[in-house]
Amino acid sequence: MPRVARAVWTGIAPVYPVVVALLAWEAFARFGAANPRLFPGLGAIAEQAIVLLRGHQLGPHLGASMTRVALGFGLAVVTGVPLGMLMSRSARFGRTVEPLFSLGYPVPRIALYPIAVFIFGIGHTSKVILVALECLYPIAIQTYYGVRSVNRLYIWSAQNMGAGPSQVFWKVIAPAAAPHVFSGFRIALPIAFIVTVLTEMVSSTEGLGWLILYASASLVQARVFASVAIVAVIGFIVDRLLAVLRNRLIFWEREPVLVAMR
Amino acid sequence: MNREGAVFVAVLALLWQGLASAGMLPGYLVSPTIILGEFVSLARSGELLRHSAVSLYRSLTGLALGAGLGVAIGLLAGISRRVAGFSEPLVSLTYPVPKVAFLPVLLVWFGISDMSKILLIALSCFYPCYIAALYGVRAVDPVWVWAARNMGARPGRVFFRVIVPGAAVHIFGGLRVSLALAFILMLASELIGSSNRLGLGFLLLNADAGGRFDIMFAAILAIATLGFAADRALLFIRRMLLAGYTVSEDVAHA
Repeated sequence: MPRVARAVWTGIAPVYPVVVALLAWEAFARFGAANPRLFPGLGAIAEQAIVLLRGHQLGPHLGASMTRVALGFGLAVVTGVPLGMLMSRSARFGRTVEPLFSLGYPVPRIALYPIAVFIFGIGHTSKVILVALECLYPIAIQTYYGVRSVNRLYIWSAQNMGAGPSQVFWKVIAPAAAPHVFSGFRIALPIAFIVTVLTEMVSSTEGLGWLILYASASLVQARVFASVAIVAVIGFIVDRLLAVLRNRLIFWEREPVLVAMR
Repeated sequence: MNREGAVFVAVLALLWQGLASAGMLPGYLVSPTIILGEFVSLARSGELLRHSAVSLYRSLTGLALGAGLGVAIGLLAGISRRVAGFSEPLVSLTYPVPKVAFLPVLLVWFGISDMSKILLIALSCFYPCYIAALYGVRAVDPVWVWAARNMGARPGRVFFRVIVPGAAVHIFGGLRVSLALAFILMLASELIGSSNRLGLGFLLLNADAGGRFDIMFAAILAIATLGFAADRALLFIRRMLLAGYTVSEDVAHA
């Protein structure tokens, strides 16, 4: 019996804080002084989540949001990675576009959103462009560092052994820079979610951000929490998927610490 | 900034100005001189100062709250396995969640007030600081800790004289990320719910509603300047506090 108990405990132990947090929430909802309409219990939230998942409401909103995340993130990848590589391979190009990063990095790009809406309308385009703009910075900067940190000796010895420029790039530089490039992706992905939900809250007629704001405007707090929980689960799953993909592709190196970034 | 970069920026600005003066740009891309003129007149009337002060108050209070808690809990988790065992699962579960999603919740709980904005900013700023402090402590060379203990330093002294300075470089990295987030969320919360008609986000939204592109760009310029100045101020503080440490400068200040 102790063996079974220990097995159960080792299964639960890593997630016990989550259980404690959920119990604390439920206790506050039940016995706290808060109005249950403003602070719904877990049961009411789960009920609303099931309603959302079963009904036809969630699908289109989820689709719209994920399209925006995917397109914006994809656009940032296909522009940011080459940009970062060019910056590190050509000193002159790096110096020329440097103000884009030194002046542009601390500026909240979200301020451009009203202008983007005016130019591109409130549909997909304005949101995708803003997502791409925000994700571009971490991806380009991490790629730049990744390529710059490649050990010169590796490049020299490959050249010495007769490798051409494309071989040096694909066999030496790309694999050596890959861990940094991926940590750029890992930083950018939550940003893509933030900007998507945010722009959908500011102006939209569809998407998860709009769904949350609509539930809030209808004063159904349980549905707001249910939508937030769904967004949370999706964000978590996508982040895990990226981590798994990373560990498959870059099996030779453990993931570096994320926030050491900047 | 280097010579090539300065030339690049100057060429862009001249191109914008030239095309706008020649009437070849659409009406919403107002020329740089008009934007600067509007910026100056807003600054003179004191309007810009009023909005900026409110926005800065919200973002910096939120940052102080979130970053303070984040650094404190992160440091504790770094030195105590028990604290880390409790905080790590919660943080890794909630870290990828877009924190803006909580804005409607906070708006209902605390009203369209400074409080809801400050709490949202604090919530977002917590994470980068927590992670940076935790990994900063873990990155401290154990040999230093052993050496300090061996020379008779008490736990408190080891913590404040060895561990905290050792983690400081990481912590400043986290603070910098949090600062950028604080500005993004300040603006976002003002765009979504600004009741007292104050704040740069409100100025931007109001100009948008009135079709005043000159004011819109002037507001964007003000936000950009503030964001840039705050970032530079943080880097200055870092240089002051960490004088003598090897701080790797990044691309932004090469």
